[in-house]
Formats: sequence, structure tokens, C-alpha cells
Amino acid sequence: MAVKIINKTVTDFSLRVTRCFFVPTKTIHSNVALFQDNLDTSLTSIEVNRSPLPIISSRKLAFPPKFKVPRQVWVSNMDTVEEEKLGLIDLHPEVFADRPRMDIIHENVRWQQLYRHVSYAHTKMRYEVRGGGRKPRPQKGSGRSRHGSIRSPIWVGGGIVHGPRSPTSYFYMLGFNARLNGLRSTLSAKLAQDDLQVVDSLDIPTDDPKYLETLIEERGWGPSVLFVDDNDIMPLNITAASDGFGHFNLMPVYGLNVYSMLKHSTLVLTLAAVERIEERILFHLNRNDAAQAASKYRLDNF
Amino acid sequence: MASVLARSILLRQQTSAHRIGYTTPLKIKSCYISYAAAPKEKSPENYTRYHEVSAENWRFVERLIPPTFVPSYPKNGNYSSDWTPPADTPPNLPYFVKRTKNYMVPVYLKFEEVRNERKITIIRHIEGDIWVLEKAIKSHLESLSKRPVVSQVHEVAMHIKFRGDYVNEVKKWLLNAGF
Repeated sequence: MAVKIINKTVTDFSLRVTRCFFVPTKTIHSNVALFQDNLDTSLTSIEVNRSPLPIISSRKLAFPPKFKVPRQVWVSNMDTVEEEKLGLIDLHPEVFADRPRMDIIHENVRWQQLYRHVSYAHTKMRYEVRGGGRKPRPQKGSGRSRHGSIRSPIWVGGGIVHGPRSPTSYFYMLGFNARLNGLRSTLSAKLAQDDLQVVDSLDIPTDDPKYLETLIEERGWGPSVLFVDDNDIMPLNITAASDGFGHFNLMPVYGLNVYSMLKHSTLVLTLAAVERIEERILFHLNRNDAAQAASKYRLDNF
Repeated sequence: MASVLARSILLRQQTSAHRIGYTTPLKIKSCYISYAAAPKEKSPENYTRYHEVSAENWRFVERLIPPTFVPSYPKNGNYSSDWTPPADTPPNLPYFVKRTKNYMVPVYLKFEEVRNERKITIIRHIEGDIWVLEKAIKSHLESLSKRPVVSQVHEVAMHIKFRGDYVNEVKKWLLNAGF
């Protein structure tokens, strides 16, 4: 069913308030009815499909940007397979329109892969190799070179001097600002490359995996999708639907990381997740004691 | 109850071993206390005394706590220091130099003393066409110092470095430009 959207964003607060008090009495499948000024409330009450649209028409940004323009994204739904635009929201340019730093993104990916890596490669040193306790021949008299042990490093089959020693950890902590700017760069890159989608919530009507698959296929969301919500306990339906797929993953906001965002082609954020991400990143960008907070990740401090 | 029982069993074993004359394998003595046997937390009055001195004097404590975010600067224009606020509208230039969190101009001096001193002026928080900005500042510095100025433009990190201590000159230039 074709959805006709009138090119008119509702920014007038009073209009928005009055619309909230009109309870639509017919199931709504198009946005046309809700941009009309006179809602038909004389019909017999049928089940309400959705709250009055647009759900979000303007969003107050914390630390309003002075000269940078906020980026706008559609808020989609997850109730139906075909996409319905529920509203248009502003995204803070400091978080979602920062200049993507490739070097910082690379640093973050490298850190994520390396900090948990433990190398189990092991070579024996001269005291670990079996044998070699006795002096092979007397110091003088044989006419041959002098040796103390048959397992010294200059001997074939001897110990390795500076070889790998198991276990070797490659743990290190990337600086606080490097990780913060990594998130900013990746989110900005995702938005710029049209791989960022915002949905109202992750509630889907069925737990059928086919529903989720067709939804993502219909909307052209990439082969792999990362759903991010503020809560770490996700709705049952989407959990069950995405369970069989390795390429559709659910994640709470506190688990958001550069590697996962790059690994999945599409990033789907809920409104709550957008709020939380912006609030946290802007807090760290504007906090007064940033140097003190970041100091524990300095190389000389651990 | 359970812990008391466990302790008693252990004691019995120890005494029996001593009588018979052989050593039983040592049992790790558990000194845990069960939730039921533990004393329950009482109300604060049982632990410490406190009394409220004054509620209206809390403001003397509040004003000592540093604010979480940097407060906005007063717009009236009476500043007792050298500091000038940034322009309300951005200057009509292909580049922009943003102020720091504390509304300071982002020009820094990197000073190293390795045998001979090495001073580098760094300009950060640059947005837009960095090459045009570098050209403009460089020509200005060269006209002031009457000698060539060596510069580095880092396009990825978006900063400019000048060899030498030109911090005050660069700051003045940026303030004149309206940044």
C-alpha cells in the first residue's frame, strides 16, 4: 500500500499537543490522516493501532551546537514489514557528524582484537632443553672449540634465546579519548554512508524468524544488522526471531563498540539508544574533569 | 547452625585422631556464618550519632564543589582579563577554528629541550579548508618575523604546526579573524 507523506514537518508545539489529545478511532496504515487538521472522531471505536503520529517531530539537543547543523533521520517502525516513517528527529552533529578519523577507527579495531589476545607460542631456553648439564669435553687438549653445554644457543638443538615465551599477553588499554572519538567517528561514518537506521522500539508482532528476515530484506538493510537498544533485556519476539541468525545481533548501548559497528553493515538504533548514546558522549566531551577521568588510562599509570 | 555443626564435627575428629594416634587428612576449617545466624543490620542510630547543623549553610559547601560542566560566559562584555569571547556569527571564511571547552583559543606551545631547545606552535580544532588557513597564518607570521616560517599541515588530525614560538601572534590573528 503506497504511503503518501505530505512534505510538512510538524514543529509547532501547540499543534503537537492538541494532536495528542485526539485519539484516532480507526486503524492507521498511512500517515495522510494524521496530517489532516480535522480528525474524524465520529466513527465507532476500532482498536487503536498506534499512538498519534508523528511520534517525534522535534528533539531537544543537549549542548546545542553553535554553528554545526544537526543531522536529521527518519524514525521507522518495526510493527510491519513495509517501512512506515513515524517521525523525523535531529541528531547531534558532534556525535553523528564528526569528521571520521580513519586512524582512530583503526586504533580501536586493533585494540579490540589485541587486548584479549594471549599468545601461547613457547620455545625452550637453554636450561629447559633436555640435557646439556655436563661439559661436553675438557676445556683444553682436544684441539676443538670450548663449550660448556650441548644446549647452548649456538648449538644445533640448543635453547632459543629470545624466542616466544608462553603465555604472553598483549593486553593494553587504549586511551579514553581515543575510544570516545572512535565511537564518534564510527557513528558518523555509519550515518554518512546511509547505514544508520533509527526505529522507535524493537517490539515486533511475531517471533517468526521469517518476519524479521523479510522486514530487513524489504527495507534494504544490509546483509548483517546490529540492533542496539538502551535496555539489555530485549523483547521476547525479536530475541526469538534473531536467535537463529548469526548476522542479526542485539546489543545494549553499553556494549556498543567500533568493531561490532564495522562488522555489521547496518546499525539500527532505537530512540532510547540514540538518547543514551548522545547523552553519554556529550557528557564526556563537555565534562569539566575530563583530564582527571582520562588520566587512569595514560600509559604511565598502569 | 550448620557452621556450628561443622565446627563440632571437626573438633570430634581432631580429638579422636589424637586418642587413636594417627593423623587424619586436614580438613579446611570453614569459618563462614550463615545468613540466618548473622546479626542483622540495625538502623543508623545504633552505629553513629549525627545531628543536622544547618540546612541553609549547605550553600558554602555547594559552591566549593566544582561544576560538572563549564558554565557559559557572561555576555555583558566587562572582562577584567585579556580574554575575549568568540564571535556570535561565524566569520565568512572557508575554515573555522573552534574554541575549547573552556572557551580558550586552541593554540599551544610544545617545548622540548633536547640539547637545543625546540619550540613548536600548534593550532588545533580546525574545521574546513586547512591549507587556506595555513597559508594565511604563515604569510602573516613571515611578515612579522621577516624570515621563513616552517609549517606542517596534518590533514587527518586537522592541526597545523609552526616551528618557533608564535603562540601570541597566532592567537591575536585568530581573535582578529573572529574565532
